[in-house]
Amino acid sequence: MKTQHDPTTPLPPGAARSWLRMRAVSRRHAYVLVRSPHRLFDVTLWPLVDVLMFGSLASFVGTGNASGGKQAAGYLLAGIILWHIVYQSQIAVSTGFLEETWSRNLLNLMITPIREIEYVGGVALFGMAKLVIGVGLMMIGGFVFFSFNITSLGFAVVPIAAVLLLVGWAISLFVIGVVLRYGPGAEALAWGVMFVVLPLSGVFYPIDALPAAVRPIAFALPTTYAFAALRGVVDGEALDWSYVGIAAGGALVLSLLAFWYLVSMLKLFRRRGYVTRYA
Amino acid sequence: MDTVLSARGLVKEFKRAIAVDGVDIEVKAGERVALLGPNGAGKTTTLLMILGAISPDKGEVEICGVAQQGNRSKAAENVGFAAGYLPLAGEMKVREYLTMFGEIYGIPDPSKAIAEGLERFRIQHLSEAKGTQLSSGQRTLVGIVRAVLHKPRLLVLDEPTASLDPDVAGRVRSGILDLCADNGTALLVTSHDMLEVERLCERVLFLSAGRVVADGAPSEIAERFGREDLEGVFLHLADENYQHSDFPTSQHTDHIL
Repeated sequence: MKTQHDPTTPLPPGAARSWLRMRAVSRRHAYVLVRSPHRLFDVTLWPLVDVLMFGSLASFVGTGNASGGKQAAGYLLAGIILWHIVYQSQIAVSTGFLEETWSRNLLNLMITPIREIEYVGGVALFGMAKLVIGVGLMMIGGFVFFSFNITSLGFAVVPIAAVLLLVGWAISLFVIGVVLRYGPGAEALAWGVMFVVLPLSGVFYPIDALPAAVRPIAFALPTTYAFAALRGVVDGEALDWSYVGIAAGGALVLSLLAFWYLVSMLKLFRRRGYVTRYA
Repeated sequence: MDTVLSARGLVKEFKRAIAVDGVDIEVKAGERVALLGPNGAGKTTTLLMILGAISPDKGEVEICGVAQQGNRSKAAENVGFAAGYLPLAGEMKVREYLTMFGEIYGIPDPSKAIAEGLERFRIQHLSEAKGTQLSSGQRTLVGIVRAVLHKPRLLVLDEPTASLDPDVAGRVRSGILDLCADNGTALLVTSHDMLEVERLCERVLFLSAGRVVADGAPSEIAERFGREDLEGVFLHLADENYQHSDFPTSQHTDHIL
């Protein structure tokens, strides 16, 4: 007969305990968001501003050309909405970790039994909630302001979104690794790195439009293939699974590299005693 | 008696300075031990190695028989840590903050442990206060409550009463002594208040230039060094530490706390 666990004593090791820890971390970041209203801008105002800006740009470009305007709106609005999946997932995990450094909570966490994977899982879990809010508002904004309904693209968007989510998390692990290694000064990378990835990924245009010198970098990014697949769907074509496959494989490789880098930097962090920077 | 902490041959070098140079520490269940020494002696570095926040260059740490290296999470289940210099997350209320750490220690419903901890240190009234609304003394008390929510077998405190007024410091000491008596918790504490150490601890380890130079009861150590009390021993070692230091400037203390 299965005995009920006394909730006032620690759970035995296992999935339930890991889940409890992840939930605790998620809730901690929910408090931070709710009690720092300016941070709500990240998931409300800025995404809507992006929709307004790119939607208006599409309207302007399409003036006097109905079919071209519709295509431009599709590229720009679908592009920016899906870009926010990469952006929000990356920024949620990166700034979640940075929050621990800002509040000097890092040592408090490091001496508890929480595993690194549980911590990242907890931050990513809360990041998903932010992502749903941010992207949800963008979808509503796109529809209300520009009559653009991204759900009309169908389920083809789902695997593309999944790949982009993975890329966002992978970049965040890399950013955390850099901050562990180089200290708080490196935190500008959390925001800055996305402004490098955005133009190189061909979010709004085929990468043929990029200068030839930077195209090799674009070809190496998994996001490039994900957005190429998206443009095909916007054009009314069937989902190009070869693009999705390359993007997924690239995202997986990127994730493994980022994870390896993070683990290496964490070892270095402990070896060199960098935790004293935050105590 | 069970050994709750066994640290053997701990060595840590930072750039050109050796912070910890072959430290051995053993703490038995229920034992109350002070780790003393002048600034730069290697106390905090030793504690952080015991806690797994810094990895030693050489040596090993076992908590309740669990090797720290490779089993950090499991070893950490039996330890609690608080320090006067660690802040609370500002946006959270005390109850929320403690709930988070209770859950991280695997307790599905930590409310009972939180209520007991707040009552033990007589700070129940702070339950709904935010971290930013607390004084440094109150933050220290909340930090200690956080450290004991899961009834650790080893409680590690780094300067727990630094910058506290005598009343709050007294409350911290009596709360810790009660806790150790009630739960059989072992204590490893650093402090610069020698009187406090004599009241709180039955055994003292003196560190100087990263090495253990004395280990015993406070009165024994004072006698061995030909001083009246621990303060006399401390001042003697601090003077020696300074004279033998190769880098007595900030260069020396960059990474040695």
